[in-house]
Formats: sequence, structure tokens, C-alpha cells
Amino acid sequence: MEELTATHFLLLSAALFIIGMMGVLTRRNVIVIFMSVELMINGVNVALIGFAWEQNSMVGQSFALFVIAVAAAESIVGLGIIMALQRRIDTIDVADVRQLRE
Amino acid sequence: MSTEVLVFDILAVVAVIAALGVILARNPVHSAVALIVTFINLAAIFVMLHAEFLAAVQLLVYTGAVTVLIVFVIFLVKVDDLPEFYGGNPVQRIFALLIGLALLGEVAAAILTRSAIGASDIWTAEAIADAGGNAEVIGQVLYSEYVLAIQITAVLLLVGTVAALVLARPASATLPDRVKRTGLISLAHPRGADREVAAALPAGLEASRRGETSGVRFDDRGVILVDNAEAFTDQTAWGGDRLEGDD
Repeated sequence: MEELTATHFLLLSAALFIIGMMGVLTRRNVIVIFMSVELMINGVNVALIGFAWEQNSMVGQSFALFVIAVAAAESIVGLGIIMALQRRIDTIDVADVRQLRE
Repeated sequence: MSTEVLVFDILAVVAVIAALGVILARNPVHSAVALIVTFINLAAIFVMLHAEFLAAVQLLVYTGAVTVLIVFVIFLVKVDDLPEFYGGNPVQRIFALLIGLALLGEVAAAILTRSAIGASDIWTAEAIADAGGNAEVIGQVLYSEYVLAIQITAVLLLVGTVAALVLARPASATLPDRVKRTGLISLAHPRGADREVAAALPAGLEASRRGETSGVRFDDRGVILVDNAEAFTDQTAWGGDRLEGDD
């Protein structure tokens, strides 16, 4: 690996995505789960921009921009849900959120 | 090993360590700080990938807006007694770690054995420089090939803002389900002015203000509530022309 190649970026992307996924699966605090989702989104962005760089393309960068915009909308709604959760059931522990099951 | 690879390695390692910090820190504020470190390192990596505009957007949107939003939510929700991880069983944790590493190995194998590389597009570094730089080229691509997607994104952001307002609305603003909301809800003049306008409304409203039930009443915010559609049929929704004509 003398030269910088897309492989570097893809490995970083995979690492970030899987770290984020483990965070989503193992944490109980909704806020930390939310941050883990942001990590996964950023991992995907690294892959998109890495591919765009490899192929001298602008499509990957455009898609990454859309991903960032959608992630911003998602974060607004997600944090709104966290606030609503806190207000309604007085906790942000996902283990305690089971209204749909009961 | 070239300098480029060395710089990338440093940035990537710091980003991954900070990402681990996000999911391992017990205190969510520490997680948020680690998240900022990850985002800043990723922005630097975007610069290495000739995506300068996206690096700026990454800093503005993620480290600037999203993280501040997260920290605010951490302030607003109950901080004490925050839950941590699933399962205190160490076997379970080791098992989770192994599965994660196996998944990472799988994906890494797929990446390292990747052979198909698509045809190169026209946007080499020279072509981008000729066209006026990264931001100009992204603008050209976005507003030619992806115009519809841009507009849909704009609508999405608007809907997201409205959704956040609805979700984060305080409980006191939530009205009983049986009350159908309509009538004078004005943002244009201060609270209390509605009552002056309402003084010109018919007797049904006056009766409700005296406490008699007629299906129409005020709540304490100056909003007129009606229990059934018949109670409000001859009112204009915004207290418009007809009311002014009566004066």
C-alpha cells in the first residue's frame, strides 16, 4: 500500500459503519444510539466520496451532499422523538420503550 | 510509504479511536465530544479526497449544527440514571465484540479482493480546476442532473422542521382529542386581541364566555374551540372581512 487508493477509504468506511452498528445494537441510551447512527451515515459518506475520488466523478460527492441533507432532517426528527419520549414516558432507555408490544 | 498515506493513516486512526469512544463512553457528553473529533477528522479526509466543499459542509452541518443539537438534547433530558449497555453478562459482550470483528473481517475481505473498477469520469483535478473549483462543479452537477432531487430535499427539510415542531411541542399545547380545533388562531396580533375581535362574534361565543355550554368556548390562549361543526358554521376562519364590515 504505497499509494493512497480507494481501498484505504473503504476500509475506514467499513470500520466506522460497523462501530456505529455495534453502538446501535449494544447501547441503551437513545442519544448514544442516535450518535451511532450518525457515525454509520458518515461511514457511508466516506465510501461515497472515496469512490468519487477513485473514478474522477462528481456523482459520489453529489450523493454525499444529499446524504448530509437527509441526515440533517433525520437528526431534527430523531431528536424531536427523543424529547417526546422523555416527556411521555420519562426515560430515554430503549429497554423501557415497549408501548407497541403491550 | 508516502506522506499522503501517512497523513491518511493518522487521520483514519484518530477517527476510528474517537468513534470507539462514542460508543464506549459512559457519559453521553463524552460521546458527543468524541463524535466531534470523528467528524473533524473525516472533514480532513474529505479534503484529501478533493471534496473541499463537502468538507466545509461536514464541519458546518455535523460539527456545527447536529452536535450542538445533540448536546442541547443531552441538557434537556434527564441526565441522572442514564442507561448504559445491554446485558451485564461479560460472555454476551465478548460475543458481541467477536461478531462485530467477524463482520468487519468479512467486509474488509470484500474490499481487499475488489477488482472491478468503473470507467473514469471526466472530472479529473485539472478539469475541476478549469471549471472553477470543487464547489462550482458540484453546483453544476446538482442543478443539472439532480434538480428534482434537490427540490425533494428542500421539501424533506421543510417537513422535518414541521415534524420537529410537532414532536417537541410542550404537553400543555396538546388539546383534548374530542375538541376539534378551528376558528381564530392568529399569529399576527398579540394574545388578547382575539377576544376583542370575538366580541363582535355572535351570541354563541358570548354565551360560552359566560360559561354556558354552546359548543363554542375559549381556552386560555385566546384560541376558539368548537365541539361540533354546527357551532361554528357561520364564522370565517380568520375573522376576516365580514367581521370588519360589522364594525
